[in-house]
Amino acid sequence: MLRIFRGAGLSHRFARETGGLVVSPQPVDTLKGFGVTFKQIFKKPLTMQYPEHKRPVYPRFRGRHRLWRHENGLEKCVGCSLCAAACPADCIRVVAAENTAENRVSPGERYARIYEINMSRCIFCGYCELACPFDAITLGNEYELAEYDRDDQIYTKDMLLAEPIKKVPVADAELYDTPIPYYRAHS
Amino acid sequence: MSAPELVTVTIDERSVQVPKGTGIVETAAAAGIEIPVFCYEPRLGAAVGACRMCLVEVEGMPPKPQAGCTLFAQDGMVVKTARTSEMARVAQNATLEFILVNHPLDCPVCDKGGECPLQDLTFRYGPGNTRMTFDKRTFEKPIPISPAISIDRERCILCYRCTRFSESVSEDNQLVAVNRGAQTMIATFEDEPYTGAFTGNVTELCPVGALLPTQPRFEIRPWEFQAVPSVCGLCPVGCNIDVDQREGKIKRILSRNHPEVDEGWLCDKGRFGFSHLYAEDRITDPLRRVRSRGLEEISWEDALDDAERLLREANGRIAVALSGSETTEDAYALAKLVRKGLGAHTAMLPEEIGGGLDAFRAPLSAIRDAELIVVLGEDPVVERAPIVDLWLRKARRAGAEIVEIGPAGDVQIAPGTTARACRKLKSGELGDRLRASERAILIWSGGGAGGGSHLAALATDLGFADKPGCGAFFLPETANGRGVAEAWAAASDDEGPEPEPLGLLIVSGDEAAANPNVRALAEQAERVLAITMFHSLAVGWADLVLPGTSYLEREGTYVNVEGRIQRLRRTAIPPAPDELAWIAQLASRFEVELSPSPSLVFAELSERVFGGVTYEDLGEEARLPDRVPLEAAPAESADEPVPAKAPGGTLQLLRYRPLFSGAAVERVPELQFQRPAPEIELSVKDAKRLGVRRGEPVSVRSNGTSVQLRAAINKRLKAGVARIADDHARDLHPTVEVSK
Ligand code: SF4
Ligand code: SF4
Ligand code: SF4
Ligand code: SF4
Ligand code: FES
Repeated sequence: MLRIFRGAGLSHRFARETGGLVVSPQPVDTLKGFGVTFKQIFKKPLTMQYPEHKRPVYPRFRGRHRLWRHENGLEKCVGCSLCAAACPADCIRVVAAENTAENRVSPGERYARIYEINMSRCIFCGYCELACPFDAITLGNEYELAEYDRDDQIYTKDMLLAEPIKKVPVADAELYDTPIPYYRAHS
Repeated sequence: MSAPELVTVTIDERSVQVPKGTGIVETAAAAGIEIPVFCYEPRLGAAVGACRMCLVEVEGMPPKPQAGCTLFAQDGMVVKTARTSEMARVAQNATLEFILVNHPLDCPVCDKGGECPLQDLTFRYGPGNTRMTFDKRTFEKPIPISPAISIDRERCILCYRCTRFSESVSEDNQLVAVNRGAQTMIATFEDEPYTGAFTGNVTELCPVGALLPTQPRFEIRPWEFQAVPSVCGLCPVGCNIDVDQREGKIKRILSRNHPEVDEGWLCDKGRFGFSHLYAEDRITDPLRRVRSRGLEEISWEDALDDAERLLREANGRIAVALSGSETTEDAYALAKLVRKGLGAHTAMLPEEIGGGLDAFRAPLSAIRDAELIVVLGEDPVVERAPIVDLWLRKARRAGAEIVEIGPAGDVQIAPGTTARACRKLKSGELGDRLRASERAILIWSGGGAGGGSHLAALATDLGFADKPGCGAFFLPETANGRGVAEAWAAASDDEGPEPEPLGLLIVSGDEAAANPNVRALAEQAERVLAITMFHSLAVGWADLVLPGTSYLEREGTYVNVEGRIQRLRRTAIPPAPDELAWIAQLASRFEVELSPSPSLVFAELSERVFGGVTYEDLGEEARLPDRVPLEAAPAESADEPVPAKAPGGTLQLLRYRPLFSGAAVERVPELQFQRPAPEIELSVKDAKRLGVRRGEPVSVRSNGTSVQLRAAINKRLKAGVARIADDHARDLHPTVEVSK
């Protein structure tokens, strides 16, 4: 059988042991606790209203990857697959092809026809960035990579070459990454 | 042969015993020490010492680094490699720095990167950075030296492996080094495309990314593919291959050295031919002929129902045309289905091989060791079994005497008389020498049916059965003709009458589907069931088409020219279930017990004909089965009728099936340039008589058909004979008239 102890029963026992008087065992401590809570009311809140406001990350934070282009518009990536070789999570897929006069994608002979990163497998170690001989890939600061579908976690070359799309509503797109307390933005 | 004398050599303070005359690179390897090399490759003949990567210090020799690859083990030799000798270490380091002076170091875009000896050795022995501040030498790149191979001269380190291959292995002398000094470059003679049966091997020999195949250009990195060991199924040699596939698609084929079969060489058909798997007209679903509308795709259930109905309706009046490209298991399964299940015993086998050859079995490498070789037949060896041609060339370089007996041989005979010439060899001067020799080889390369039995009779007479160094090879036309014939015979002991009229013709495989004789038979058959890979081969004449698979997509075994049973592995996923899977299903509808698993089918077959060997016994490098002693003198099949001598003014037509032909080659763009030109080969005498010169257009006529061809003069061809490749001879009759 299951016995259920009720609070009432307990205080009953206390009451008996302390000679019939019903008192809390730690009245001072309780008041102290209330005091701490009370003091916070007058302080600036530490909590942020995510997703409208975001905590800044360190500049070297490793988030969503970005593929880069040269100034003349050609892609820096030559499709060498060294990033894929370095990747411990095996989440990069590169299929290279040959540049032609009609279809010049990168300088030199070779370019990445397919470049995909499976973000759901990536552990954001940054080895790909380290391995790349052309500084074609870097890890950025974006970390909002949640999706409703696993397939959407596979980022294609076009996505990686473009500016990250801000999918989460922010209070002010210009001030993305700069937290302003909710009450200030909304008062 | 007596055991070679052993000598003791000390390498880096380790002493090792090797036979006298072993190269120092191998001696060091025997001691577990690496001497790095670029240009050294024993298969290319004597070392040339071109790259200086192998520098070592040798005590008692002049106090300077010595090229290890040019030295041989002698008793008491003391060698120090870069591990223990500062002199060797500095020298190797300097060698690499010097090689890299003009090297572009474009590893990220270079297809060799990741499996490049220059990368690897630089990493281990070379300098970490460069002191070179001048501009590097540049060339235009990449330049195709043929549609299948391109060259990047900037990357070339001038090791001369490729030119040595061309000069002393394939002996085509097409790749040469031109210019001098730093401007030396590898080129083909007169910038003609590098043509020949073996050109692809240079891409595997080149220790850098200078010579690369154009086919998987930039599609794979060495760390991204899986290599599956299998066997080439495009000719009866059965070269061992590694099939590299990425994401389920075959990207390239490399050789896997079997020292007794191929010595690590491949022909271009085997190396580059795989892309026919991805041809546009590949059949992926079963097709049924609907009266006027041609072929229509149907589901596999319907297809099996249809096949069952066709088989039942034929009521035992069934014939099977086999290609010789089926695996032994597939052929056995098909044979069991129709022979056991339907009582139909008629087959068109790809060729008649004849028994008795197993008593003279020898590895192909025995050709290299032979002193006297007789090649009988009408077809050039290289067109039938290209690697055998390389073994012959190697034997000739080693001093063997090779006598070719054929219409274009040293001993010239008329077409169709090979069997007679074979019998003549039993006596006569050449026959006596063959009989006396301990290392003699007989090769039959085309020329009439039943060659195997003639050859076996000759070899018996010459006493080859008791001489392990002697062997007889019958070069079949198809890759697994031998295995298919044995499997067909093993399926049942019963015999049956020829079906009259023919109810159903089962055409298995592309070679059979392309064969004019099979097509003629199909005209008489009421129904035709075809198993082919390609649309164009099936359309118009088959009632039901089931998609075929290729040798790269099946598990199974092939029996090669030597009688070696070798395993094929599934290296890519076929677009349709393989033959064995649906044959087994069909068999169950006729109460024939058949497993869909190749290993079980092989076990059953092996019990009957291969002495119970299993897949495990075959392994990755199959052993040659022992000789099977002859119980009785082999029955020699009757000679084919000798074609009548061509009447005056006309020529006897000699057809041959070129290596670069067939359904697979036709679908590989990189191999088109290798296909035979529309030429007619004429003897010097006939050319003079007709007044035609090399390259002139001539018209070739016979019985109403006429073909326009270019004339080529073959100095070795017998007068009165004209040779044309099958692709161009088409419907010509055996006697042709040639005129300008
Ligand atoms: S960050 Fe690490 S895990 Fe992610 S793609 Fe790069 S190498 Fe792979
Ligand atoms: S991102 Fe860099 S390492 Fe990766 S394939 Fe492109 S060039 Fe190579
Ligand atoms: S040949 Fe080797 S070293 Fe040269 S670029 Fe290619 S991978 Fe690099
Ligand atoms: S092309 Fe390759 S094999 Fe030929 S000499 Fe140059 S490096 Fe050697
Ligand atoms: S390997 Fe000895 S000189 Fe090239």
